[in-house]
Parts: sequence; structure tokens; C-alpha cells
Amino acid sequence: MSHTVKSFRIKQHSVIPGFGITMGFTFLYLTLLVLIPVSMVFFNSSSIGLVKFWEIASSERVLASLKISFGTSFLAALVNAIFGLLIAWVLERYTFPCKKIVDGLIDLPFALPTAVAGISLTTLYAPNGWIGKLFASLGLKISYTPLGITIALIFISFPFVVRTVQPVLKSIDLEVEEAAACLGATRLQTFIKVIVPELLPALITGFALAFARALGEYGSVVFISGNMPMKTEITPLLIRTKLEQYDYAGGTAIAAIMLIISFIMLLVINIFQWWASNRHK
Amino acid sequence: MSIEISNITKTFDSFKALNNIHLKINTGELVALLGPSGSGKTTLLRIIAGLERADGGSIIFDGKDNTKKTTQDRKVGFVFQHYALFKHMTVFENIAFGLKVRPSKLRPSKEEINKKVHELLALVKMEELAKRYPSQLSGGQRQRIALARALVVEPKVLLLDEPFGALDAKVRKDLRRWLRKLHDKYPITSVFVTHDQEEALDVADRIVILNQGKIEQIGTPEEVYDNPVNPFVYNFLGNVNLFHGRVHKGKAEFGSLKLDVPEHLEARDRQVVSYTRPHDIEICLEAQGHEFIAAEIIFIRAIGPIVNLEMKRVDNGEYIEAEISKENYRNLKLKLGQIVYVKPRDFRIFIPEDYVI
Repeated sequence: MSHTVKSFRIKQHSVIPGFGITMGFTFLYLTLLVLIPVSMVFFNSSSIGLVKFWEIASSERVLASLKISFGTSFLAALVNAIFGLLIAWVLERYTFPCKKIVDGLIDLPFALPTAVAGISLTTLYAPNGWIGKLFASLGLKISYTPLGITIALIFISFPFVVRTVQPVLKSIDLEVEEAAACLGATRLQTFIKVIVPELLPALITGFALAFARALGEYGSVVFISGNMPMKTEITPLLIRTKLEQYDYAGGTAIAAIMLIISFIMLLVINIFQWWASNRHK
Repeated sequence: MSIEISNITKTFDSFKALNNIHLKINTGELVALLGPSGSGKTTLLRIIAGLERADGGSIIFDGKDNTKKTTQDRKVGFVFQHYALFKHMTVFENIAFGLKVRPSKLRPSKEEINKKVHELLALVKMEELAKRYPSQLSGGQRQRIALARALVVEPKVLLLDEPFGALDAKVRKDLRRWLRKLHDKYPITSVFVTHDQEEALDVADRIVILNQGKIEQIGTPEEVYDNPVNPFVYNFLGNVNLFHGRVHKGKAEFGSLKLDVPEHLEARDRQVVSYTRPHDIEICLEAQGHEFIAAEIIFIRAIGPIVNLEMKRVDNGEYIEAEISKENYRNLKLKLGQIVYVKPRDFRIFIPEDYVI
């Protein structure tokens, strides 16, 4: 009986007091910073009515932009998950000269104004740019295509996976790998069966952060995408276009759609992440 | 499988961890590598397992040179001090790991794996915990699972790195008895590393005592305990009383204590140290000739069948530790502050210049 009562208690005894005040502050903070601004989006878009809302949501241009936004963001997050893991591995497992400097470089995409990143990437990857030239000779165009958008998104969301995986990688005991080797596991088996499962929660977290960051990115993409409706127009840009035309309801309606989809996707990722980190508790 | 360690040397940066180690471990033996921390015992174990590369020398398993083989190919069971269990796997999956990672040709069927894992769970008496995760187990349970995991691949050699080091005293004692019994039943050639002399004396067939990267002595527990070859081994294997004095033509003098030492007849007025275990100290209430030293009792611990006494020599103030039976203690009616007469019943004399502690 006492056990059931216990499980319903929210507050647990702790040596550090202040449950009431910190919990209250958390709710206030989240409300002011997240809940109110986000609900304003729904509030504004609701003024146009459901029919109009649906009309905007199902218009070809909006659907195309959503496809590009979610597609390129997903791809960018995926690429970052793979290569971010690799970089985290190199930084944690090996020593080499200037390691601290390389480690510092990781965070640079966060510090750089995104417009600067967008302009430099566009110049580099344009058909007459340094890197773009090489691909142009192969008949591959990067700037002003979804590929260019993906590259910009990879750049701006790159630090997340590295920084979430690094501490977990550091905490993995080398002895565990040695134990696997003693049991006859090959290096690949040790990596896949022993190390990846331990890293998975952090990797998913990093992926989710990178994905969310890429979805909201605007500054760098507008330069490299070329902003052709139906082809390389991302949703945040479409929203801005609507606002510039004083179509506030239309803009917020698209924003609302994007929010709903993002929320569902992040929720799914979070549930997956929760599952990955709790299955052996 | 026999293990031959020949001429193994290992240096970390400038620190010489192992220096020309030669050691032969016979098939089915349980050998303890005993030494203080930094003596190189764990390094030697890791070199046998292939987890560490030696700078020179060779490791030979059953006459075959294994020096260049990888850990995966050596087929040794290794048990780590901190268990090194796979946290995200259940107990069952942990034990099954060694079988599941085999190449598909050699991999047993699911039923066989199941059977084998349950056999081992029964062996370590943990059948009911198969579905638990390591975080839900106690230290002793984790170490038993680690052992079961190492044994599932039927290794020809079992290596244990301070297997009981992280456990509390009671569990430690139980587990080491259990390991001894297990070894008697399945005599796999085993090497275990420990810094606990009691553990080594209790469990091993033979003890290898290491110090500063060198082997000091190899022998059965009785041999090394009763006949330590040098002061280090004497000191390391248990409590000891030191008497500083001099030897001249087979006569030793330690303050007022005079003893005959026929093995040092050729010694001419040399500084010596005599080593005596506390249980080899004889206590009398009255002085009898020159073989006794007067000492004052300063501490008595009379718990259990053995009574520990601490005494202070009257002549030079050095401390003497003694262990006597409770019966003897009662007969002598010893009290704190009492002056008694003490004599080493058994002692070893080492001339310090030959040995450095």
C-alpha cells in the first residue's frame, strides 16, 4: 500500500531544498519563452478559419517547400550523425598535435553568423567557385539546388552530434572493449554490438537537435538555395515571403503546419531516445 | 594448456614495468601473481592475454608461440576487476555474447546457446537472474556473471585481474573459496592477479611474487610463507618483527638477545636484520638465559582464538608484535604494562647489504 502511495508522489526527498520554487520557475520560464510565442502562431492562424487553413496547407507551393525543408534537414542530420560520430571518436580516442585547436573548431559553425556561412558556402559551391568548379566539370550543380541547401544545413547543425556523443564516448570503459575482444569478437562486432548501443541515446539526441536546428535555419539557406518556388524554396523562406506581402494569416498558418509536423517528429525521436536509454535500467 | 613466459620485458615511457620475466605455468595449475601496486603483475597478465604488447620476449601456449597473435585468436578467458559487463545487455545476453560473435560456421544453434548459457548460470548459481541487467546486480553477482561470460567459450586459459578486489571482505572470501572449488572441478589453467597475500595463500597452487617488474620468488603457498628468499617476500607475506643487530662468527647479537646462527659462520661483524613472524614469538614470565629480551606489554587485543600483543623492548624501545593462543594467554595471565621475556622461536637473518627493501 505504502508503495503505491509513494509512486504517486512527485516530490522526492532531496538534500538540496527548493523544489517548489524551481518547479514554479520552470513552468513560468517555459510558458513565457516557449508556450506563449508558439501559441500565438496558432492563435493568429486560427483567424482565417479551417477551410482557408486547409487551402493554404494543401497548396502545391507549401507542400513542395515542406518536402524540401524536411527532406534536406533530415538528410543533413543523418549525415551529421554519421560523420559527427566519427569526429567525436577521433577526438576522444586518439591523441595528435593541435588536438585542442581541432576540438575548438567544432563549435565554430555556432559562432559564425549564418548569413556569413551562407555567403561563403554559396561562393565556394557555385559553378564558378573553388569546390563548385570541380563538381561542375562532372555535371553536378551544388549551389541553387537542394544539395546546396543540405550542405548549408550540415554546416550549421554540425556541432550537435559531436558534442553530445563526445562525453558518452569518454565514459565508455576501455575494458568493455577488451572484454569483447577476449571473447573473440572482431573489431566491427565490438563496435556494432558493444559501443553503438551505449552511444545510441546520445546519438539520437544529437540527431534530434541537429534536425530541429536545420528545420528552423533561414539565414544561410537563403543565399545558397536560389529560392526558386517549388524547387529550392524552404518553408521558413515561404513564411517570410508571405509576411512581406502582409499576408500574416497565411504566414502563420504555414508556421503552424510546420510546428505541428516538427513537434510530432521530435516527439517520435524523443520516444525512441527514451526507449534507447531506458531499456537497460 | 601450459603457458610459458620467456624473457618478457615491458617499458611504459621511462618506467620499466617488467624486466626479463621467465615463468612456466603448468596445465591445470592455479597460479597467483602477487605483488604490491606497480609491481607489473597486471601488465604481465595483460601481456599473456594479448591486451598489451611486450617490448621483447615471447608468450608460448602449449609449445606454440602466441606472441604475435591477437587477443581474439588467443582464446583466453579474462575477468576484469571492475567486471566490464555489457551494460545494455541482460545477464543472459552477456554470457551468450562469446558464442553469438562466432563466425556463422562455428556458431552454435540458438538452442545450443540457450542450453550452454543456462549451464553456466547454474554453475554460478544465478539462474533466476538471467533477465536482469548488470546495473540491477550486486558486485559479487556481477563478478560471477563476468566469470560465466569468460567461461562460456571454453577457454584453455583463464586470466583474472584482481577479480575480488572491488568486493567487500565477506563476499570476497566466499567467492575465492568458490573459485578454488570451481578450479578443482574444472581444472583450467588459471592465472590470477592479486595484491592480497591472504587471498593468494588461500587459493593458489603456486604463488609468483613480483616486485618492481621482477620475480622475487615462485613456490607453493607453504614454500613462500615458510621459506621467503629475501626480506621483501618476508615482509610482503605477512606481519613481521624486525630485530636489528650484528653477526660475528656465527653468533648474533640483538641488544641483550644473543642467538646462535650457524649459517652465518663466515660473517665478520656484519650489520644484520632478523625477521620473525608474530606467531613465532615465545613469551615467558621469567628471564631464562641470554636468549630472551625483556619487553613491556603495551597493547592487548583478545578477540577470537588468537590474542595479539604489542610490546616495547625495555633495552632499546623497539616494538615487538606477537600472536599467542587464547589458552596460552590465559595461562600466562598477561596484563597491560607487565614486563615479560620474549624470544624468537623461529627467525631468518638477512644481511641488509645484499638486499634492498
